[in-house]
Amino acid sequence: MQDLAPRPVEEFSANPPGSSRTVIKVSDLTVGFGRTTIISGVNLTLMQGSIVALIGPTGSGKTTFLRSLNRMNDKVRGYFAGGGILLDDQEVLSDHVDLLELRRRVGMLFQRPNPFPMSIRDNVLAGVKAHGLAKKSEHDRIVRENLERVGLWNAVSGRLHDSPFRLSGGQQQLLCLARSLAVQPEVLLLDEPTSALDPISVEAVEKLLADLAEEITFIVVTHSLAQARRISDHTMFFFDGHLKESGPTAQIFEDPQQPETQYYVSGRMG
Amino acid sequence: MASDLARKTEEPQAPRIFRPTTKSPLGPVKIASAVSSVAPLLALLAILGILVHQALPAVKYNGIGFFVHNVWHPGNFYLQPVTTNGVLHPAQADYGAWAIIVGTVLSSLIALVIALPASLGAALVVSKLLGPRVRNTLGIFLELLAGIPSVVFGLWGTLTIGPLLSRDIYPIVAKHMPDVIILRWFRGSTGAGEGLLTSGIILAAMIIPIIASTSRDLFAQVPKLTEEGAEALGMTRMEVTTKVTLPWVSAGIIGATVLGLARALGETMAVAMVSGSVLGTLPTNIYSTFNTIAATIVTTLDSALIDGTGLAVRTLAEAALVLMLVTLLANVGARLLVRKVSTTALPVGRGV
Repeated sequence: MQDLAPRPVEEFSANPPGSSRTVIKVSDLTVGFGRTTIISGVNLTLMQGSIVALIGPTGSGKTTFLRSLNRMNDKVRGYFAGGGILLDDQEVLSDHVDLLELRRRVGMLFQRPNPFPMSIRDNVLAGVKAHGLAKKSEHDRIVRENLERVGLWNAVSGRLHDSPFRLSGGQQQLLCLARSLAVQPEVLLLDEPTSALDPISVEAVEKLLADLAEEITFIVVTHSLAQARRISDHTMFFFDGHLKESGPTAQIFEDPQQPETQYYVSGRMG
Repeated sequence: MASDLARKTEEPQAPRIFRPTTKSPLGPVKIASAVSSVAPLLALLAILGILVHQALPAVKYNGIGFFVHNVWHPGNFYLQPVTTNGVLHPAQADYGAWAIIVGTVLSSLIALVIALPASLGAALVVSKLLGPRVRNTLGIFLELLAGIPSVVFGLWGTLTIGPLLSRDIYPIVAKHMPDVIILRWFRGSTGAGEGLLTSGIILAAMIIPIIASTSRDLFAQVPKLTEEGAEALGMTRMEVTTKVTLPWVSAGIIGATVLGLARALGETMAVAMVSGSVLGTLPTNIYSTFNTIAATIVTTLDSALIDGTGLAVRTLAEAALVLMLVTLLANVGARLLVRKVSTTALPVGRGV
């Protein structure tokens, strides 16, 4: 019941065959800090090439869940996690996991743009260099490719060596997206990625996610129900630390099964 | 009622947003703020003016040779004073500040080489790795360290650290250091503990709190979101620090470093106590006794006052002028560096 059903066949028609493999499988996940349990008993399966929206009231555990997937909570004092998170059959929560490689495969985009204090070009290459993914001779190509993917190339091609802090907020967020894409992640976690952007930038980011979803699985925490509805294939509703309901986005919004979900998606709560 | 009518007949007035000022344009507040805003500039100009005025006869007599040779000879006070270039001076007086300029710059650079990594390390550990309670306690100690009088550092250096280093550490280092460029400087006679390296170490201890506490405040300003972004990209802690945290505050770090450097360049008492106070010779290795401009001024002022022609004191004023110049150069250099660094790393701690 709580597992996500695979997307209906007709929706998959645009995707290459075989793309509906499982990317992330979460089983009975419990996460907390100190003596407080934040989320418990979360089960779900995510297929490749989908956009999943995490919705729910503030404090329901969406972000904590999201940050468990790439283990960004690890250094928080008193953090604990139980259950399992399988990324391509590898246990993410294992002590033996290579955190750096995990974070290359499971990237993250934050609430506000967070470019690094280096040139625009070096921002795109930051992860590539850190992971030693490409030879120096390929750097130009990688910069261009990824800036083109996010539609930023024309705007910044003449000032690749300039500071990223002179770009607009929307452009900065696109640059951060290009930076994440450059390390070729399989999954990208987005923590309210458009909450600090103007409507035009929001549209640009949303369109990009739709275009990129064939290759990358997106998990998006959002407070905007309209956004969840616009961009996601699946929606998961978190309430009070539990995954209350999940399913195809249309079903969650049109025909929610749980009373809390009904309340929330109708705008009467949260 | 009548008053109501009267009001209605008045011309309708546009609502006033700004009331016209009734006070005179030169009130006491304005005068006070004008005075206090130009006071630092006036003070600087006054000091510089007096110094130049005092130093002028020495500049005339010593000439350009002051900067290129290493003699410090007040002349023979038993002979008749002579006049050269219109300046009355003791016979055979000869001053050259090259050695003390070199000593000033070298000891401060040694201090910086030791203090900069130590301060950044301390600041990083305190601000990034420790919990809030330990962080605050250590922070208090850091600031206490900055408040220790320099004479205490000097005493500590000359009584404890100097002898200890020259007995147990320096000989071993000197013996095992290879005979190649720069490292060659660590070979040879190690002396009794008073000298360039000991001074550099003492100076480092004095400027570490300055650089460290400023850097700690800077590191605290680096947004968590940006550092998390680097972590989420799969960077190691070291990469996050060197690629994101440090560049974010690089301009401010340069400023803090110059603050420390200025302190080291001008430090007088502690250096006077551990330098060995030799005049007129260049250091031959890193353990050599030497002297700095500031220490020379304080240690020779007494004897300079004996010079009836006044040239010795004037020469010290000239030395002070040179010290100001060196410090000024360091500041200008730092500003240029900040400008270069700031092109991509804007956000925090601009300016020196």
